[in-house]
Amino acid sequence: MTFRHWRRARQAVQALSFLAFTLAVILTLRDAPATLSAATMMRLDPLAASTAMIAARRWLPRLVPAFLLLGLSLVVGRAWCGWLCPLGTLSDWFAPTRRRSPSPPALAPEYWGSPRSTGAREPARAATDLPPLPVLGERAGARGPAHTAADLPPLPVLGENPSTLGRGPGVRGSAARGAKYGLLFVIAFAALWGNLTLLVLDPLTLFIRGIATLALPGLTWFVTQAETALYRVAPLRGALLAFDRALRGTVLSYEQPFYGGLLLAALLGGILAFGLVARRAWCRYLCPLGAAYSLTARASWLKRRVSDACVACGACARACSMATIDPARGYASDGGECILCLDCADACPKGAITFEGSWSVDRGYAYDPSRRQALGALGISLAGLALLKIAPSNHHPDAHRLRPPGADEAQLLAACVRCGACLRVCPTHGLQPSLTEAGLEGLWTPILVPRLGACDYSCTACGEACPTGAIPPLVLDAKRLTAIGKAYVDPARCIPWSGRAECIVCEEMCPLPQKAITLEIVRAEDVTGAVRELQAPVVDHERCIGCGMCENMCPVNGEAAIRIIVDPMG
Amino acid sequence: MRAVTRRQVLLGSAAATLSALVGACAPRAVATPTLPAPTSAVTAETHPTESPPTPAPATTATATAATATAATADAPTAPPPTAPPTSAAKEPSPTPLGAADMAVVRGADPAATGAVAAATERALAAIGGIERFVKPGYDVIIKPNICNANHGPEYASTTNPEVVAALVRMCLGAGAKRVRAMDYPFSGTAARAYVTSGIEEAMRAAGGEMEVMAPMAYVEADIPEGQDIKRWPFYQPILEADLVINVPIAKHHSLARLTLAGKNLLGVIDNRSAIHRNMGARIADLASLVRPQLTVMDAVRILMANGPTGGNLNDVKQIETVIAGADWVAVDAYATSLFGLRPEDVSYIAAAAERGLGTTDLDSMEVAELDLGGMAYIPRQHP
Repeated sequence: MTFRHWRRARQAVQALSFLAFTLAVILTLRDAPATLSAATMMRLDPLAASTAMIAARRWLPRLVPAFLLLGLSLVVGRAWCGWLCPLGTLSDWFAPTRRRSPSPPALAPEYWGSPRSTGAREPARAATDLPPLPVLGERAGARGPAHTAADLPPLPVLGENPSTLGRGPGVRGSAARGAKYGLLFVIAFAALWGNLTLLVLDPLTLFIRGIATLALPGLTWFVTQAETALYRVAPLRGALLAFDRALRGTVLSYEQPFYGGLLLAALLGGILAFGLVARRAWCRYLCPLGAAYSLTARASWLKRRVSDACVACGACARACSMATIDPARGYASDGGECILCLDCADACPKGAITFEGSWSVDRGYAYDPSRRQALGALGISLAGLALLKIAPSNHHPDAHRLRPPGADEAQLLAACVRCGACLRVCPTHGLQPSLTEAGLEGLWTPILVPRLGACDYSCTACGEACPTGAIPPLVLDAKRLTAIGKAYVDPARCIPWSGRAECIVCEEMCPLPQKAITLEIVRAEDVTGAVRELQAPVVDHERCIGCGMCENMCPVNGEAAIRIIVDPMG
Repeated sequence: MRAVTRRQVLLGSAAATLSALVGACAPRAVATPTLPAPTSAVTAETHPTESPPTPAPATTATATAATATAATADAPTAPPPTAPPTSAAKEPSPTPLGAADMAVVRGADPAATGAVAAATERALAAIGGIERFVKPGYDVIIKPNICNANHGPEYASTTNPEVVAALVRMCLGAGAKRVRAMDYPFSGTAARAYVTSGIEEAMRAAGGEMEVMAPMAYVEADIPEGQDIKRWPFYQPILEADLVINVPIAKHHSLARLTLAGKNLLGVIDNRSAIHRNMGARIADLASLVRPQLTVMDAVRILMANGPTGGNLNDVKQIETVIAGADWVAVDAYATSLFGLRPEDVSYIAAAAERGLGTTDLDSMEVAELDLGGMAYIPRQHP
């Protein structure tokens, strides 16, 4: 197999993996077998697995496969990033296409990936004439720890390259890449304090959430609109209904509103847009899972090597989406950054690039994780924790912070990895990612928004879908007795209480065998002075479990006249 | 009452009973079948001009024969099956045999295998047989009440699956091209509710299809006779079907007082909660467009309180009754008596009667009241 074949194989694996992840989210359904679901996929995430166990102080055996992947990275480095990660694949697909041109090699060590910027640079620069640095500012060596040549592992130095001049020996790569370690350390320390908020930046949770709360709802809306438009054409109806029957309930939802989508869309869009500036910029600079893999991958067995056949043409450096091939060091690369995509080996006209096994540790880079960085992250995590904890929401919980049945607030915050599996599986889509209801600390944790969907009286799907047990799995009988909140009538807006008309919808909809909403007769006087008797709802708070059917179905416009709020006595 | 004697009704009912086409199974049958294969013979009785429908499976045919025998034994005045009442049907009579306006069949014991189906078939037979409503090639939609996915049929919040299945078999037997059943539950997904209610399984066994109502197919339709609402989103296949059979279950409701056939129509529209304002008139408006031609009410178990969802067996009353009629208003009017109410107590029944969509005057029509066990005539008790 040539490297061209390997590269093609990698692209195929990427596509298959992307498909599998997408399918897993789609198949995260209430009635689907659990073999392939969002929860299955979260078992492949060592960052989420370890931090959830640390934060929840609980061994979660279901998540162990993640550690096997991490162990595997000691052999094959960041192959996860290059071959399997769905967000990485998406980044590759969204990367600007490279022109194949025999242009002179671009030798900027941390070039920005797009053809325009690489082409603009001169191969050799004077020491004082560093290229202007975009956004992230890579003043190599300015901030990085000063390594001496003696610290360095032996490197395959293949001939002099002018660009090493003036950069100082041992100062390699951009310190900006260290940002991901900073993020990783902050996440790790925060987990130690029981906080998982920053897992919103985990690539797998981002991906699953993106499919579940953006892509699929959007698709549902588009398809339903198209179907509705085409349904007017009578001859198409049979085919349309058959099509709908095939997809509705699995790929397509009945009603699938999600709020907070803009924030997620901005984040995902930002990641992809960042990738337009520099290929896989997210993976290079920010991805905390990538950082975790980098830590092990730098010691990985499979390493890229450049042989004497190298003619310093720079093709590999241009091909490298991670920009870790450094012309200044004879086109060597960092095992902690290399994602084994094999693009370089394919691009090399001389076949000078090989991948060989050797147990060594790549280090000596400006972005290497440092003790200072760890201490900084410790400080940031403590400061951040304090900031989150002094938020008003911790003193007076939001009245609408309605958690899934059986979920204890502290346990949920300590174990929820923000993957969104529960949001996907909720049949009414009443489970929504919280924005402000749980404070910034609880960003994107699940809350019930009864106006959008009630907690189905016959459903236990969220607890079953949760990969970490943040939502406890309840049997149906227990769930039917578990209160989420309590219903309260707003008499000023309630149709019969305000004397406007008959209405008993909330009572009708109450699913309890002995309804928690009863009707009492009120005498209403209208403007003419005529008195009539109306049935008006009264909630029995002993019985009410706060499922939200009443709020969901309340026919008044806007906010319901009966609302579920957190149990004031609970 | 029209000029029909009680004896004629009895005769007609007995004959109609014999014409139960397929799938009948008498729980209290005492005799072993000694009769010729009843399916074709029975069909010939009631519909001599029509070709026999799809033959029933052998076991079912046996059961039908048993029913016939039992009925004969219990009702000595009925003509013997070997001398089918085709002769009786040819007697000059203003009311053809088996053509009551409404039938009330008791004895549909849900614990006895096949009794509910047999009662359904007998009720249909008494009002002229399914062929009165289903012509060969018809596309039939059955609208049961599957309002929630929370409880099984024993909780009396969803229509008894055996009633639905019996109708499917009858429709297919009469040559229907396709029989679908559908509802739009408010609690739980349709797919779930279909399973929980037991109706999906029963439909599949009977050869029908469950349809999950597709969002695209709700179309705004004009209601020409609408008084309060002139336009509403309806599920279009309901409006286009050759025959809509409304198969409600009788149960308690706080505002309407009862959920019966009229209120069951809320399952074929969108924007249901808005119907609750001025409910009586609005349901009558909906019914004026849908106009279900046949209504078969499941009153095998009825829900006396905490409707429409139920969930407490103490609220369930087993009265083992199936009611069938072409006039849904009359069927509903009769059903009010099961709860000790009167038709005028239920706003949508009163509104529909006033609109002329049907009648609540049960004395003006022929009501065949039968018992599955025997053929004894049970006088109707008016409250």
